[in-house]
Amino acid sequence: MMSRPRTVAVVFLLVALAAAGCSNKNVSRIEPDTVTDLSGEWNDTDSRLVANALIQQSLTDAWLSRYSSANGGETPTVIVGDFRNRSSEHIPVSTFINDLENAYINSGAVTVVASDGEREQLRAERDDQQEFARADTRARLGQELGANYMLQGELTSIEDEETTTRFGASRKEQIRFYQVDARLVDLESNAVVWAGQHKIKKYIERKPFGL
Amino acid sequence: MNRYLMLGSLLVLAACVPKKVDEQPIMQNNDRVPDASATVAAASAQAERDRADAAAARGAIQAEALADCAPAVCDAVVRGELAIGMNEVQVLAATRTTEDAWAIRRSGPSLVMAPGDERVVPADVVGNVAMVQLADNRVSRYAYTEAQGVRMVDDPSDATTEGRARALAEQLEREGDEFAARGDLDAALDRYDRVSVLVPTDPMIDYKIAAVLDKALRPYEALIQYQLFLHRLNLETIEAEGAAAAQLAEAIALAQQRIVILERQTR
Repeated sequence: MMSRPRTVAVVFLLVALAAAGCSNKNVSRIEPDTVTDLSGEWNDTDSRLVANALIQQSLTDAWLSRYSSANGGETPTVIVGDFRNRSSEHIPVSTFINDLENAYINSGAVTVVASDGEREQLRAERDDQQEFARADTRARLGQELGANYMLQGELTSIEDEETTTRFGASRKEQIRFYQVDARLVDLESNAVVWAGQHKIKKYIERKPFGL
Repeated sequence: MNRYLMLGSLLVLAACVPKKVDEQPIMQNNDRVPDASATVAAASAQAERDRADAAAARGAIQAEALADCAPAVCDAVVRGELAIGMNEVQVLAATRTTEDAWAIRRSGPSLVMAPGDERVVPADVVGNVAMVQLADNRVSRYAYTEAQGVRMVDDPSDATTEGRARALAEQLEREGDEFAARGDLDAALDRYDRVSVLVPTDPMIDYKIAAVLDKALRPYEALIQYQLFLHRLNLETIEAEGAAAAQLAEAIALAQQRIVILERQTR
């Protein structure tokens, strides 16, 4: 039979150990293509799915061959324009837009030119070279490529949820729907030459007591 | 004890609320997202093949186009500009296209080349080409699609800067007339102003500007324009041209009348 102060000390020790165990942090590297859904909000998996779908749709569509045959085999030049996030979440759209840009560049089927944010820095450097660089190494002015098409798009989301409460315990069900629309618009005529779309629907269920 | 048993049962019951959605998931945690690299590789291979084929075709076209051409036509091919007198191959070379870009219709000695796809129109350095017509394998006329409509070129002088300005001015003047007829005086004035920049020596445009300003109840500006119109005219030359200048003579008479009236009003 343990004495009372000794029992208190043992209980305290056990509680301290349990608390230490709960706050133990574990970080591990995992494959970037692994599906990891934690909260149900937009995540890297959604971004990859959208990028894959848009790459597949835009690189296999007839707009490329149409342009190529009308221009003696030349590749179209694309500039990335506005891609709006109209969802209720904070979503960095640049992840899948960059994937799409990379696919265009690496395929060699589309030429991509710097977008308006990037080219300001390039122009400043070029202007700087006109004054300070050796004449035979200067980047010449007026040699920029004009884009034929602008890539534009938007991401929208719809949410629906219901909480059911029975005997004081509540269960939450939620639907999250994301729709990503991308368009390539002819800069001269405003004609949409390609339109791609990808939809993601998620069902999120939160049961009481982890049941 | 019974109380605890009852509470436990209630909690289990609460957890067993039926699901509203009963669909099989298509992707779950720990699955893998497929890679797009196969699509990119296929597109890359296709683009490489297309580029090689097109480069070979364009090289052959360019060589044939420049093999035997008059100096003016050769210059135009190198500049990438259509010209009267080119043959079919030279048209392809000047527009940097192959036959795939065109819908070609032959009828005896004449041939008409129109864009093969309205969504991607062939172009030369001047603009988008709407049509090229050849007679006996020589370009007799061609047309551009421009902001004001289709512009025809059927004479080498039409292809010069002055010729283009003349055609553009004509289209703008027609638009201005339409706006004036519809009563949109601001738009009509805008078109006539643009015409007066392109063709500064046409007195009829000064007259039209004056008339529109007059109708728009801007008497001071109208007065100046009427005076400018009369000042620009060489009256003796007009009298010598006789009936051919009847329209201009009528405009002069009207301008003189309006000057008298406007001068009285603005005093």
